[in-house]
Amino acid sequence: MSEALLAARAAGTDTTVPAGSGARQFWRRLRTQHAALVAAAVVALLVLVALAAPLLTALEGQDPTTYHPSLVDSARGGVPVGPLGGASADHWLGVEPQTGRDLFARLVYGARVSLGVALAATVVQVAIGITLGVAAALGKRWVDQLLSRFTDIIVAMPLMIMSLALLAIVPSSFPRPVLVALVIGLIGWGNIARIVRAQTLTLKELDHVSAARLSGWGTWSIARRELLPGIAAPVITYAALLVPSNITVEAALSFLGVGVKPPTPSWGQMLTAADVWYQAAPQYLLLPAGALFITVLALTVLGDGVRTALDPRAASRLRVGTGRRRESKAAGGGTA
Amino acid sequence: MRHPSVTARRVAAASVSLVLAAGAAACGPKDNDAKGAGGDSTPHKGGTLTVLNANPQQDFDPARLYTSGGGNVPSLVFRTLTTRNRENGAAGAKVVPDLATDTGRPNKDATVWTYTLKKGLKYEDGTPVTSADIKYGIERSFAPELSGGAPYLRDWLVGAAGYQGPYKDKKGLDAIETPDERTIVFHLNKPEGEFPYLATQTQFAPVPKSKDTGTKYEEHPVSSGPYKVVRNENDGERLVLERNPQWSAATDAERKAYPDRIDVRSGLDSSVINQRLSASQGADAAAVTTDTNLGPAELARVTGDKDLASRVGTGHFGYTNYIAFNPSIKPFDNAKVRQAISYAIDRSSVVNAAGGSALAEPATTFLPDQKSFGYTPYDHFPASKAGDPAKARELLKEAGYAKGLTVTLTHSNAKDFETSPEIATAIQDALKKAGITVKLQGLEENDYSDKIHDVKTEPGFFLAHWGADWPSGGPFLAPIFDGRQIVKDGANFNTGLLNDKSVNAEIDAINTLTDLDQAAKRWGALDKKIGEKALTVPLFHPVYKRLYGEDVKNVVISDWTGVLDISQVAVK
Repeated sequence: MSEALLAARAAGTDTTVPAGSGARQFWRRLRTQHAALVAAAVVALLVLVALAAPLLTALEGQDPTTYHPSLVDSARGGVPVGPLGGASADHWLGVEPQTGRDLFARLVYGARVSLGVALAATVVQVAIGITLGVAAALGKRWVDQLLSRFTDIIVAMPLMIMSLALLAIVPSSFPRPVLVALVIGLIGWGNIARIVRAQTLTLKELDHVSAARLSGWGTWSIARRELLPGIAAPVITYAALLVPSNITVEAALSFLGVGVKPPTPSWGQMLTAADVWYQAAPQYLLLPAGALFITVLALTVLGDGVRTALDPRAASRLRVGTGRRRESKAAGGGTA
Repeated sequence: MRHPSVTARRVAAASVSLVLAAGAAACGPKDNDAKGAGGDSTPHKGGTLTVLNANPQQDFDPARLYTSGGGNVPSLVFRTLTTRNRENGAAGAKVVPDLATDTGRPNKDATVWTYTLKKGLKYEDGTPVTSADIKYGIERSFAPELSGGAPYLRDWLVGAAGYQGPYKDKKGLDAIETPDERTIVFHLNKPEGEFPYLATQTQFAPVPKSKDTGTKYEEHPVSSGPYKVVRNENDGERLVLERNPQWSAATDAERKAYPDRIDVRSGLDSSVINQRLSASQGADAAAVTTDTNLGPAELARVTGDKDLASRVGTGHFGYTNYIAFNPSIKPFDNAKVRQAISYAIDRSSVVNAAGGSALAEPATTFLPDQKSFGYTPYDHFPASKAGDPAKARELLKEAGYAKGLTVTLTHSNAKDFETSPEIATAIQDALKKAGITVKLQGLEENDYSDKIHDVKTEPGFFLAHWGADWPSGGPFLAPIFDGRQIVKDGANFNTGLLNDKSVNAEIDAINTLTDLDQAAKRWGALDKKIGEKALTVPLFHPVYKRLYGEDVKNVVISDWTGVLDISQVAVK
């Protein structure tokens, strides 16, 4: 085995070992991180809540769009009647000021939009990033130049402003959540493409790739069978961090009024409507803000955990717990 | 004032929207009795009044101000032939003399109006005000570079339609005669009994020709009122007015002019303005706002605090928010569909969406619920408070939509609680109960305004609003329902495309009346008659609530503007 292959194996990217062992190793490493496990549980719960939104609201006996004028004090600007924002056995988290719509129902339906849009956008970003990153690394010099400069331009563009512009020109008949996911996806793939290109450039010099090339494999086969497994680790890591950032972008776009359309609830939209109510009906602002905070925090911690589990150096530290000495040794061995 | 974002006939958009903001924003006590919070409520002269505003006074040229926009800070500097009666409530909807000795003397058919100026009127430099200056002031408002005023003068004055102002056309307007220094005569091309209302506009303020600097005049307009401009920074963002020693209270029964100094600071965020007024610290204790209302959330907080609640002025401006139908688009060509929607509306949820019962009153008439407009109560399609979905379904069945109906409601994305998404979703929810599925089409503000006022792009079903240029039925009903005012190329306000001979004839007949009470009654009856056609669904009349500082006294809010009258406020 060559030095390069050793390094590749250390990086968990050696495809000559049985497929199961990489994943097993990953799980073993992830298991040792309690914060990541808690975060994973929270994320799973959030996804479950989002998927089960109709069930949960049926259980509560409410829906996210029905108005309840009698539950707000019309003479006082429409502030919810009763303590804790009108929370009761019928309305678990109280009602929205002015409309009396059920806040629990809006929050769980809002989770669908926030999580759905963020995940879909991440898929788009990853797909474009891998395609262009690999193409740049494997293509001719001019292809690389062209794609890399294009990537630079995309990375340099301010995401929010571009999204605002794109969302403003698309006709309002286009399904809004899909549009928002597409727009975020189409603008935010730059860094993934860069990471993939860099990783591919490293991998393609490795012996097993050279061997495949010498055996007469086509570029496509090499990319698919020899390179893709190698770039999976950094891509998964980065994608896990993209999801929370996409959630905040969706929230920001909805906050600015160009995200999903009313009456569809989304957390960003709830925040927009709630910001003026922070004194008169604080729970109205705290609920979507808290949900957003917990989701982004959980996804970020989980993403961090995934990266640690995939990163051999950090992993070795975790496994043996002897710290720097061994870590530097492993690093030295890799580059010798 | 016409509708806020509607720049009437595409006159300078910026100035008009500013004006509208200023006019629409209103305040002042109708319920409270117009007294400050302090123990001694007698107003005294002296002190500095601070004005905290969101919109800078970008236009300070009397030619460029729209009707209601000229009614506040500019009204301290510009006197006009007639003016608003500065009193609380309905009494404030009357027109009273200002520079003139009376509200105007019409000929028999109200086509010729004659005014005589009071004696002893002077500008800030001591020179006398003459009738020729008023004529010149009106003429320069026709100059394209000084656009922004309401279109009435161009429509009403004989031979004014193509007039380009005194800079291009030295001869001036023959329709205005000045036989001597104190007399001015207006010749109109049709009877207009409401001319005295028009003469309250700042276009009727005198402008001395020798001091006119064209578009630069607004930097230092020559004052005929109790204050003069001593500072104007950043295009009206900071204004300082001080007493005009040449002004004499003996010739001005309307402006009280208690403070020595007025300090206007604008460009502030509306929440900052309300926060500063509620804190009432330092100079803010003697502060008011002329353009910022309390929003629903702010109102919820203020009503929970006795001290703050005592410092809220309430005003009623003649204004209606409504649903408009375009009967040239299916299914709104069918009166039964329009009636069904009228029945299905849940006004309590719409009122809540607009900020609750303190900020909006449910409307079933197109005319505002004020006597001066000729308010005649009617409710042709009684929806009770929460809507009558059963009756609506019945009508839909008769119209051939037994299985329900899907329609698109166009609204703006403005955060104004008027044509905004909140109102649209409340309507959507109410119509759902009647089997009508409403799809929402939210448009960016300018796009929305352009679309609904162009007959070629007008949607079938949309949110709209209308405000009065003066408190009378004429400017409220005619632009919306006069068939001859349907504009094919340009801004059209007759969105229901109504061209009914009997309606047109009645509008003409009422315009000949110079007895304004009589005219009001006829406008009310006309409104009731037009209401039967279900071309609109009146939703609510807004109510304006505004905070003022602790030291503010003599708060007067008329129904004409619904806004605290800055000429009456005292801070000592």
